Amino acid sequence: MAPIDHFLYLSAFLFSAGIVVVIVKRNAIMVLLGIELMLNAANLNLVAFNILQPGLFTGHMFALFVIVVAVCEAAVGLAIVLRVYQHYQTSIPDEIQDLKE
Amino acid sequence: MLMVFLLPLVSCVISFLLTDRYAWVITLTAPLLQLISMIGALIVFFSLSAEPYTLALPWFHIGEFIFSANLQINAVSAIMLVVVTVVSFLVHVYSTGYMAGDENNRRYFAMLGFFTFSMLGIVLADNLLLIFVFWELVGFSSYMLIGHWNQKPAAVNAARKAFIFNRIGDAGFLIGLMIIWANAGTFELRNLLLQTEVFSWQTSATLCIFCGVIGKSAQFPLFTWLPDAMEGPTPVSALIHAATMVAAGVFLLSRIFALYTPEALDVVALIGIITAVLSALSALVQTDIKKILAYSTISQLGLMVTAIGAGAADAAMLHLFTHAFFKACLFLSAGAVIHVLHQAQQQTHTHFDVQDIRNLGGLRKKLPATFFAFALSGSALAGIPFFSGFVSKDAIFTGLWNWATMGTSWRWIVVVSAFLVSFITVLYTFRLVWFMFMGEEKSTQALDVTEAPLVMRLPIIILAVASLWFIITINPVDFNGWLFQILHPGKYFHFNLMAAVSASWVLLALGTAHRMYRTGKNFNVKIFQRAFYLDFIYQLLFEKPVLALASFTDRIDRHWIDGVLHSGVYAQVTLAHIIGWFDKWIIDGSVNAVAATSNGLGSFTRSFQGGKIQLYIFWSIFGLIIFLIWMLL
Amino acid sequence: MTIATFMFYFFEVMAALSALALIFVRNVFYGALLLLICLLSLAGIYVLAFAEFVAVTQILIYAGGILVVIIFGIMLTTKISGKPLVVKHGNWLAGIFAGISMAALLMTFFSQESFSVSPIPPVSKYGAIEQIGIQLMTGFALPFEVAGVLLLITLAGAAVIASTIKSKKI
Repeated sequence: MAPIDHFLYLSAFLFSAGIVVVIVKRNAIMVLLGIELMLNAANLNLVAFNILQPGLFTGHMFALFVIVVAVCEAAVGLAIVLRVYQHYQTSIPDEIQDLKE
Repeated sequence: MLMVFLLPLVSCVISFLLTDRYAWVITLTAPLLQLISMIGALIVFFSLSAEPYTLALPWFHIGEFIFSANLQINAVSAIMLVVVTVVSFLVHVYSTGYMAGDENNRRYFAMLGFFTFSMLGIVLADNLLLIFVFWELVGFSSYMLIGHWNQKPAAVNAARKAFIFNRIGDAGFLIGLMIIWANAGTFELRNLLLQTEVFSWQTSATLCIFCGVIGKSAQFPLFTWLPDAMEGPTPVSALIHAATMVAAGVFLLSRIFALYTPEALDVVALIGIITAVLSALSALVQTDIKKILAYSTISQLGLMVTAIGAGAADAAMLHLFTHAFFKACLFLSAGAVIHVLHQAQQQTHTHFDVQDIRNLGGLRKKLPATFFAFALSGSALAGIPFFSGFVSKDAIFTGLWNWATMGTSWRWIVVVSAFLVSFITVLYTFRLVWFMFMGEEKSTQALDVTEAPLVMRLPIIILAVASLWFIITINPVDFNGWLFQILHPGKYFHFNLMAAVSASWVLLALGTAHRMYRTGKNFNVKIFQRAFYLDFIYQLLFEKPVLALASFTDRIDRHWIDGVLHSGVYAQVTLAHIIGWFDKWIIDGSVNAVAATSNGLGSFTRSFQGGKIQLYIFWSIFGLIIFLIWMLL
Repeated sequence: MTIATFMFYFFEVMAALSALALIFVRNVFYGALLLLICLLSLAGIYVLAFAEFVAVTQILIYAGGILVVIIFGIMLTTKISGKPLVVKHGNWLAGIFAGISMAALLMTFFSQESFSVSPIPPVSKYGAIEQIGIQLMTGFALPFEVAGVLLLITLAGAAVIASTIKSKKI
């Protein structure tokens, strides 16, 4: 069994990649993808730490709830993206600046 | 006493403050104030005790030196006070007639008041510095008055000339003051006069002050400004000649007489007699009424200065006193003649020079009162017995005689010259009177001449009466009257023979004059006419070299100083460019950099709120990173 | 090297590479597919970490649910044309800075800590999935209920937000 450090380093890498995607991509759906990636990195951490306590399933439970919340987030987020697209005819977040200043 | 002193100033201030609309008020207030001042002066004079009366006014102090503006009245200054105020009052009254209709009446009366005030300051001050201040004020107001008709170029030039000549003398005065301060350490006349020792510095100091007197009292070699000053209004001439300006010099001489060393006095006497002779000769051939009178004044002043130089300061003051009255009278009458002739000319539209005696003649029938006054005062000037001039001149001759008998032989030349001056005085006075009033009428024949108005006639008559002998003494042949007693208390050497000699001498001169001028013939000697070419000599001696020096310095200026200046200018321009560059790039640059920084910072911070969601995310993560780094550390 | 270890490294590398590629890919649809690869790899890693139920849930919900929704979104926000939806990149410097520094920091933290396995408790008579079911019904009953409510609300909300019927409130 690989040491737990591998999980952690992988989750750190995924999280960072998610951040980069969120910041760099100029499309709302790609931003959502980045967010999913970050959530999965967190999930990986939860699962990995559960290895350290074999008899307990708290980490698994949290991972499940995170997945549930991610589902909700994805559903609502995509609904908002669709709505915004209908309204502004674009899905580029920077062009939606009605809240500016 | 202070009232006497300040009232002319009040008159001056009132005249300045009033607007042109109420200018007529001045013609009432100015003589009125002068009248009050005159009455005050008379009261001061008659209540004078033997001890000098002093009014102490602290002025200012530097360190431990205390300057006081003390006013002092002794016998001499009391007499001067009376002379100045009386003549000034009469001149004021006269001016209301003479200057009627002049558009600058206000300024005229203001300066007249100021002139009187300054002169009173000289008379009363007990401090040489204070005297100097008033001395300058007299010079200034005379400048203003001589140049009163400032539309006439001649008047302006005359005023300027008077001012500059006075400046030359005043420079000497100032140097004298410095010498006195450096050696005696005080300007208080009381303290200065108290000392009994005679120091060698006194000669130089008093001679320097005498320079100021030369300028102010129109002595040789600075006397040519006075005839030119005749361009001013005639009452001003009367005031200058009788009471204020030129009298100031003689008065100052007698005031600080005690400071003079015998050597200095000899110089004073010589200068005085040279002035007297030269100007008497000049007066003999002048054709302008006022110029004749001006030269006669200079000659009389020369006699006074000679008397002071001969040690007879009291005789000089006596002559100053009498001279003030009869000379004022002469001027005012001459002014009256000029005035009425001018008016008559304007009515008939004829033009000739009314001041030229060759155009006049036979006016005694048309102007009897003026003739009467002129003849009286002229007799006084000539020194005919029973007139004040005879008495005071007698005093001077007596003083001179005493002086000559005590000293070396050259002093007899002075005495003889003085007698010569007296002789010539008779000649030119007779000539003046004869040409003006006697004989046949010439250019004035066709004119309808009437007497001057009462305000002008009255002062003339008063002054004419005052030129009789009783004004100073009961005995018409003895100058040792009541006035002289005040000036010179105690026994005085009286030389009866002198009076007789003087009287016969004057009568002889009168006869000569009658023979010379009866026919109306006019002698003209060019060198006398031009006052010995003094102005020409000045021109030659000073003007040309000064002009040459000026052009020389001009060349230096062009070649050297301008060159230096130009290089300086180029250096400055270069420097200016450098500074400009510096300014543009360093100073402006730094300012712009600050502006750009704040602008960038502004847009940078503004970008946080720019509505860009991904940047919001970035900044929040950035904050998280910083927090984590902080945790790590 | 056991097969399990090989599988672990394989899934790890696959997840990392697909995440890395996700950064650089420009086509949204390819991005979604790369994310799918990543999620599936993670599911494999979960299996290797003895979290079978989580792995199955991951595959079902993420790969089957979320990605399908995302692909629907991609299609709905793309104008019907032959061209693929190409995404521009912005804020390169900020993104790379944030990503690298975040990764470095996280790895620094992980390397500083040492994690040890706690003593093994007595083995339960139930299997892992049974354990989870018992836990859901006992210790995590409230979160379970809340999650259900949340899902319901999300269902209704997403439907309302995304609906094309113009209501006055929206």
